[in-house]
Amino acid sequence: MSDTVQRQEMEADIVCVGFGPATGGFLTTLGRALVNEDGTPLAESKVMPGMPPQVICYERADDIGFGVSGVVTKGRSIKESFPDLDLSQIPMAHEVTEERVAYLLDPIGASRRSAPVKVADAGLKFVARDHAVELPWIPEFLQKHGGMVLSMGQFNQWVGSQVMGSGLAQIWPGTPVAEPLLNGRAVKGVRLVDQGVDKQGNPDAGYMPGMDVKAALTVVGDGPVGSVGQYLDRELGLPEGKHQREWAVGMKMVVQLPEGCELKPGTVLHTLGYPEPEIFGFMYVYPDMSASLGIFVPSWFDNPVRTAYRYMQHWMMHPYLWKHLEGGTLRSWGAKSLQESGLQGEPFLAGDGFARIGEGSGSTNVLTGSGVDEAWATGVQLAEAVIELMRERRPYTRENLESAYVQRRRESWVGEEAEQAAKARDGFTLGFIPGMLGMALSGLTRGTINMPGRSRKPWERIPRIEEYFKGVVTEQELIQLRKECQAKGASLHDALMDRAGWPEVPLDGKLLVSHQDALLMGGKVVANPGYADHVTFADSYACSVCTEQVCSEICSGQAISVNPEGGAPLFDREKCVHCGACLWNCSKPHPEDDENTNVQFAAGSGGLHSAEN
Amino acid sequence: MSNEFHIVVCGSIVPDPLQTLEPVQGAQGPELKNEMMLPAVLDPWAGHALYEAANLAAKNPGSKVWLVSLGPKAKLQQVMMNIAQKVPFELVCADGSASGFTDSFEVATVLAQSIEGIQGLDKSKLLVFGGWQSASRGSGAVMQMLGELLGISEQFQGVDKLTAGDDGSLEIMERIEGGAYQVSACNGTPAVLGWATGELPEPPNNPQVGMQNMRLVMPALQQAKPADVVQGSSLAFAAVELPQQRRETRVVKDMPVEDMAREIVEWLNS
Amino acid sequence: MSTILYLAHTEADGTLAKISREALTAAHQLAAGMGAELAVGLVGEDVGAAAESVAGCKARFLGVSGDAFSQGRYASDLAAAEALFKAVNPDMVVAPASFRFSRAIPGLAVRVQGRVDTHLTGLEAKDGKPVAKRWFYRQRMVGEFSRDERPWIVTVDAGCFEAFEESGSADVELVQVSLPEMRTTVTGIQAPDADEQTIRPDAKTLLVAGAGWTKKQADGQSHVDVAEEVLMQFLGATKASLGSSKSLVDISGEGQAVISFLTHLHQVGQTGSTPRHAKGLATCCHGEEPHVVGWRFINERRAINTDASCGWAQGKADVLYVADAFELMKKVNELL
Repeated sequence: MSDTVQRQEMEADIVCVGFGPATGGFLTTLGRALVNEDGTPLAESKVMPGMPPQVICYERADDIGFGVSGVVTKGRSIKESFPDLDLSQIPMAHEVTEERVAYLLDPIGASRRSAPVKVADAGLKFVARDHAVELPWIPEFLQKHGGMVLSMGQFNQWVGSQVMGSGLAQIWPGTPVAEPLLNGRAVKGVRLVDQGVDKQGNPDAGYMPGMDVKAALTVVGDGPVGSVGQYLDRELGLPEGKHQREWAVGMKMVVQLPEGCELKPGTVLHTLGYPEPEIFGFMYVYPDMSASLGIFVPSWFDNPVRTAYRYMQHWMMHPYLWKHLEGGTLRSWGAKSLQESGLQGEPFLAGDGFARIGEGSGSTNVLTGSGVDEAWATGVQLAEAVIELMRERRPYTRENLESAYVQRRRESWVGEEAEQAAKARDGFTLGFIPGMLGMALSGLTRGTINMPGRSRKPWERIPRIEEYFKGVVTEQELIQLRKECQAKGASLHDALMDRAGWPEVPLDGKLLVSHQDALLMGGKVVANPGYADHVTFADSYACSVCTEQVCSEICSGQAISVNPEGGAPLFDREKCVHCGACLWNCSKPHPEDDENTNVQFAAGSGGLHSAEN
Repeated sequence: MSNEFHIVVCGSIVPDPLQTLEPVQGAQGPELKNEMMLPAVLDPWAGHALYEAANLAAKNPGSKVWLVSLGPKAKLQQVMMNIAQKVPFELVCADGSASGFTDSFEVATVLAQSIEGIQGLDKSKLLVFGGWQSASRGSGAVMQMLGELLGISEQFQGVDKLTAGDDGSLEIMERIEGGAYQVSACNGTPAVLGWATGELPEPPNNPQVGMQNMRLVMPALQQAKPADVVQGSSLAFAAVELPQQRRETRVVKDMPVEDMAREIVEWLNS
Repeated sequence: MSTILYLAHTEADGTLAKISREALTAAHQLAAGMGAELAVGLVGEDVGAAAESVAGCKARFLGVSGDAFSQGRYASDLAAAEALFKAVNPDMVVAPASFRFSRAIPGLAVRVQGRVDTHLTGLEAKDGKPVAKRWFYRQRMVGEFSRDERPWIVTVDAGCFEAFEESGSADVELVQVSLPEMRTTVTGIQAPDADEQTIRPDAKTLLVAGAGWTKKQADGQSHVDVAEEVLMQFLGATKASLGSSKSLVDISGEGQAVISFLTHLHQVGQTGSTPRHAKGLATCCHGEEPHVVGWRFINERRAINTDASCGWAQGKADVLYVADAFELMKKVNELL
């Protein structure tokens, strides 16, 4: 943005972007150390002499518990931070009591299964119950025993209230950060988004240019699709050999389980194999007879027409799950992108005036399927580093942060396990079965032996619809379907899934509801006025010649729709859940940077208003 | 000439309007299912009152705004994180139930005590603002009782506009039946105003305002006095229910528009 | 024996509004159920005609009258109510939840050391004891309750009881009120012109306009001017009342074209009103709870929407017409 605008400025000592588990770990650890036992500050604030350091955190969502996810985690680092952790104090939290992994057969016959998968299915049919086969044993690297199931929304609220209650850090929700204030390769703080602007970002009634918040240290914990992290990756590039090409979108619901449901609190179910072999499922049972459940649609699922929503409904209706869910009620719903590149996608973890923590810093372990524990740990590690630097009165330079933080991270279990997991997912670039074998190999040999694979940029791997549906739908039919869908303003994926043999979902108004009703009943989506659209398309010509329009097919909230006039798709902020799936579900490269797609995802206001996720 | 107003805005939290609400029987009467888990917001009408108060204070230098809030401390803290960025105010917190099922008389009593306890408040300059209703109890009765308890007889409800004259007089527009307004002139403070929507949009987030408010918000929350709004009332609920409202909807499609129009007109005229 | 005091105010023309006569029915039935005496207290410039219009209730009639009581004002209305209360010393007070008495009556609870419950939608005697009903959380749930404190002051919402109609001759005891210093004067009423009048509480039908009217249509353009014309024609022909969804009222903040005659006063639903009409026609509305509470008290409901699974209609309306509202409402207007 060319900047002739007069902006207000404010100074803090440390500014954090994004309040998730990483920042939670950071602020919890730092807050406890800022004041010594005798009441004197650990260090003096540079901007407010006489006071302890001024620490501020800006969170995009309207509340600190909105728009996050249900998780199962070993919680090693969380327990270390809270040795006396009493899970009953956190709503919806419970220790893991039972773990099961099930391979789901296809009871419908619509799933797209390769020949080897079909052969395997035919063999398993005889031992299956409810069209599923439970694994007799769960490899150690996948086990979560001794861990906990959590609603991240509730956990974040709990952590946030402890942090704010200490009075030593401020957390401001509803405040999206536009970008870092970059000076060369140094970060000097952050710029908040402009308010009182129209959809294009032009000044409108009540215009208030985003404020510049300057700080000696900027802590970037804004997740996998965060605007500050993305900006840094763009401007600073990624370290040599690194790339962020592996993604997944997780879509989930919180369901009030039906009366008489026999699942016990703390039960953890993981599924694979259905509705498509590439789609994984999960279900975590909470103490109040509710459960968090959903699916992951990964970037290596090469279907150009896909909707996590409909796939999730078919998954829920699989007999193995439906026997627990039938008669339940949708309480909450949401979606989120996951950065699954792990160590392979790790950005520069520190530089002059900044450090990266959490999922956006590549901390998620793609082998063990664990992210929250690692994110929290990286936050704690950075806090320990900052405390050390404060105590020694050393500035937040790249060198100092490298030695105090990055080295600490590398030497910890987070770093060691990340190394083991680095190549665990490579097999999936070849397909489902090599992928599963690769995971097993890496897991059982602790990363010594890995299935080789060559990653491709997300947009490179999306085939044309005609190719993908070859043998199922003729080109002629496809032309007809496209025409019909366009006239109705309907999405193509529904029509094609119908055509591929997926049955119609029998909506019951309670659990099986239309996508739009999920937005209203479970998603509770809000778009605050006065903010610019945060989803934009870099090159509208690229959109106008795009026949896949994956962005609109994948859109978790049906916020992106095909423009009947051609050109860039339409974006309706009132439906966006800020999952960021559009960012990597586009079949066209960005005109200036082909490592990225043509969709741009910036910091936006609003989104989900559910704290149960 | 400008006036100095001491504006006390009464406002508490209500469940975020987008949430699904369900009543359950609690130990002390009805409450909402998962009440402490439901995201909360500042009551929308109280919000309008707060923004009007801030605007009036900004136009009249020397004026001051207090936000007096009765609600559970932990939830208030979360809501304040959002509100405190909007407009400058000083928080006075009473730590008690913000439930819609409490007795409005008890609520008014707690608020009156909280206001009486404000240091430096000049009652001759006092404007008591609040929502004309709440999104929880919706009684539209607390402000009047509060006014009575404070001895203020000039009261207005459903206010959409307040104009202060140079002589300290107030012109007030109140909603009345049929989309009309009653216009009144009041010779000055003290007065009680229950706001409807007012005329101001929600102010943008201003981090500097937030920083300034923060220094007072956290201590105010820490000093919050417990407030019991349940014990003093005999209010007893036989039942609280969600209405059974599922209708059999006849969906008419693929009918020519002319026929649909005819059917609608027949229905309207029947 | 307990006594119930019914309190009401007259309108500008000296009559009792429908809501006031409805509240009288509530008080009358309650008195019968409790075996209580009923007293009627009226406030207005001249209360004679109003008293006669409901004299059939066979109650003791009291009145406060004079210029000072011609218009609603908190201090004078409350002083009148207090004087009437003291003349009767009742256990219960029943008043209409009109704008005027919604403003004034709650304060009475403090003056007479009582308690108040407002906006009742039900009031009856069960085993000789009064039991009230009202809605909570913006019409999302309904509660039935009672209390022991006396005096118990209640106000009753419109549309929940039949209006009391039996007239006769009434002997009104006039009660003198010593007014405190009055610092407020009512200087006028700003009513929309009869042509512009689009909020009509007594209309048979409510037309709810949703945000769809301002959205881009099939040709990629929005047609707010056409929408305005269609809506106004319909309101002119049917004398329906106009309501609107929150999103449509709020759209102005988004910098979009807006329907010029809609204001916050029209908003129905969560932060708006929940009007009572016999029929409701929702056009271009979308949403689930809490928006749908806007037509909770509409008896017969129909909706027009292009989406057959529209949350405003499915399970909430009796009939949903899946059609383009522009086209269909034009046709409806032609036929009207």
